[in-house]
Amino acid sequence: MAIVVGINFAIALRLIGWVPQFNLGPFNRFYQIHWVGATVVLLSGLGLLLAYPAKALTNPVFYLKFTALSIGLLIAAWLQKQIQSNRLRNFATAKIKAIAALSIVLWIIAITAGRFLAYTNSVLLASRFF
Amino acid sequence: MLELLSNFAHTTGIYEFMNSPWGWPTAESIHFLGLCMLIGTIGVFDLRMLGFGQNISYKDLHKLVKFGVGGYLLNVTTGVMFLTTAPDQYIFNPAFQTKMLFMLIAGINMLWFYATTSSQVKATEAALAVSNRAKAIALVSLVCWSVIIVCGRLITYFRPPYHWCLWC
Repeated sequence: MAIVVGINFAIALRLIGWVPQFNLGPFNRFYQIHWVGATVVLLSGLGLLLAYPAKALTNPVFYLKFTALSIGLLIAAWLQKQIQSNRLRNFATAKIKAIAALSIVLWIIAITAGRFLAYTNSVLLASRFF
Repeated sequence: MLELLSNFAHTTGIYEFMNSPWGWPTAESIHFLGLCMLIGTIGVFDLRMLGFGQNISYKDLHKLVKFGVGGYLLNVTTGVMFLTTAPDQYIFNPAFQTKMLFMLIAGINMLWFYATTSSQVKATEAALAVSNRAKAIALVSLVCWSVIIVCGRLITYFRPPYHWCLWC
């Protein structure tokens, strides 16, 4: 998760303009690491969900995390595509900056919701319903 | 030692905040955000020194590091909040002790980098590789932060009195 969020943070900071305008093209190599990290996040998340399905599925915070994570990854895929096809030459547009800022907000929500999951569940085992 | 840490938490209001309904998870969320900032900046710079993202300027990428320092400060602040609120759960915890050891190594490694190698790395052309010493420092840094993350997660599972330090 730290790899995924960290790399997204770095790219978003660059697009917003808070760090120097370094060449984004070579950043594609970091996206490879990013997607390995994302796969680990999704697989370990699936494992946790399968282990305690009732705990997660009865908790609204889980859906908040899942939504933020999904949109965050979709934005990452879209930005990667733009960078690969060199469409971000004019990246200083308000639209790109807004998407980068949204990405940061979504990752903060995903992390916070993830931590709060452990403290907000009201059901632990599915056996409670049988 | 335990009393000193505990008194600090009580006199500063940290203990009260951490024991409020959302105190602990809020501090945990900030701790993890700090960690992500650290990995996204210092980790990315380490990977760059190891050869990833060729043609990105070392000097420009190094400017991300200030956000990593910000993340580190968030981690230290929230880390002190955890430690002083429940010192007995940390001081005798082997995962915490290992985490602190690797933080020390990461700190010495960073001082070594800035004392010996950083100006040389920042002056290196983007298309060129950095020295082997810089690569070794980057590798040590990445290993240290990976171990620190793993140990941070393991702290919860080695809580005294069920698990006490194996080497004390």
